[in-house]
Amino acid sequence: MEYHHASKMNVAANGKIVTKYLDVCSESKHSDSCREEKGSKDSEDAARLSCIEKSYSTILTELGEDTDREGLLRTPLRAAKAMQFLTKGYQETTQAILNDAIFDENHDEMVIVKDIDLFSLCEHHLVPFFGKVHIAYLPNKKVVGLSKLARIVEIYSRRLQVQERLSKQIATAISEALEPAGVAVVIEAVHMCMVMRGVQKMNSKTVTSVMLGAFQEDPKTREEFLALTRK
Amino acid sequence: MMEHSKQSQYGPNEKKDAGSGDGGVLNGHFEGMVKRPGGGRTGAPQASDAESGSHHTAASVMESWREERTRSVEDNEMSLPALAAAYGTILRGLGEDPQRQGLLKTPWRAATAMQFFTKGYQEKIIDVLNDAIFDEDHDEMVIVKDIDMFSMCEHHLVPIFGRVHIGYLPNKRVLGLSKLARIVEIYSRRLQVQERLTKQIAVAITEALQPAGVGVVIEATHMCMVMRGVQKMNSKTVTSTMLGVFREDPKTRDEFLTLIRS
Repeated sequence: MEYHHASKMNVAANGKIVTKYLDVCSESKHSDSCREEKGSKDSEDAARLSCIEKSYSTILTELGEDTDREGLLRTPLRAAKAMQFLTKGYQETTQAILNDAIFDENHDEMVIVKDIDLFSLCEHHLVPFFGKVHIAYLPNKKVVGLSKLARIVEIYSRRLQVQERLSKQIATAISEALEPAGVAVVIEAVHMCMVMRGVQKMNSKTVTSVMLGAFQEDPKTREEFLALTRK
Repeated sequence: MMEHSKQSQYGPNEKKDAGSGDGGVLNGHFEGMVKRPGGGRTGAPQASDAESGSHHTAASVMESWREERTRSVEDNEMSLPALAAAYGTILRGLGEDPQRQGLLKTPWRAATAMQFFTKGYQEKIIDVLNDAIFDEDHDEMVIVKDIDMFSMCEHHLVPIFGRVHIGYLPNKRVLGLSKLARIVEIYSRRLQVQERLTKQIAVAITEALQPAGVGVVIEATHMCMVMRGVQKMNSKTVTSTMLGVFREDPKTRDEFLTLIRS
């Protein structure tokens, strides 16, 4: 039974995570140094936004569009902000969002949160993929606030992703936070890169799953989870 | 005339002079058409043109399709490096590492994908119709429904997808059925606004066939509303354009709407 370190996996596979500002600001929101850091963060954010905006302007022109027409006038800015929103998971950490919503509870039965809507971006084509996530865990004296499972999904899905890695990151994050007896994550998603272009298969879905701990070792536990999440 | 998202779909080198008398172009289709001076539905071309279509000579119909193609396959090849560079900058701007394995060729893939999503700019209606217009003594409604449609929101550059239902009442001329779907493809594979897309499809069919009437209904999901912004998962946007008899005769419109619903 091996738990990978989610944070190591993030840096190696999913790019930088801008955590240093979060670390500094978590000490005290009122210190001067924190304000300075925040000031420089704001200006850096603005510089990045402007950079992305210019790139989108170039893209529109190279596609043969007329960037002066009314509908496209502010599109580079809107598209840049949209892209930043769709990748906001890079700025978030599990630790910050769990918000200490971990409770001691003498419960060791399966907890499932299913049909969590998921939206992510394919890292290969920068085109959305979306679907549903089902998460289950077997608590080991510690339970987590239910919405926090959905928030963990948000952190990892709002990035440039590959569905396999996304499933594993979610499972690993929960494992590390709660140290439960087992975690199971199933994602069923539709990839626009397959539907809108390329093979153009309208109805295809991709299903990935990660089973850790008791879910991996005990087939009956796994079967119970799959039965409860089946439509 | 009613200014209704007037824009030109021409690239920077091919700016068309929009100063002509009848109030400018809408994707190059409206050169020969007279605008209804307000009233009725918003800004749709008037029905009488469609009905008196048999008076148009073939030459004037061809002329109104004389929109310039804004892009060619060669243009695509030449733009690709610049597009890829722009996407590389975007990746860096988002805080990602473009050198990691999964992202190494992403700028090129994303650039090619975006060119595919806007390939409608490379195509002209007249090429796609391929002379598949046939004289047929048929004047009953013809419907092609549930045509899958994929487009890109011109405001956020995020996908729109849904279904298109098209109905028309032929006036001695029918169109190859797949050509209706091809017309949808040409106009949807662009940076679009759903209202304009609906109208462009309806107008293209009108100009090609001069039918007694055309109805187009689009029901779509906008990822810009679902994935970001208000984040309403189940919302759908429905737009419709009714021309000719579909606009004037409620019973015809009713028949169309009932048949596409079932």
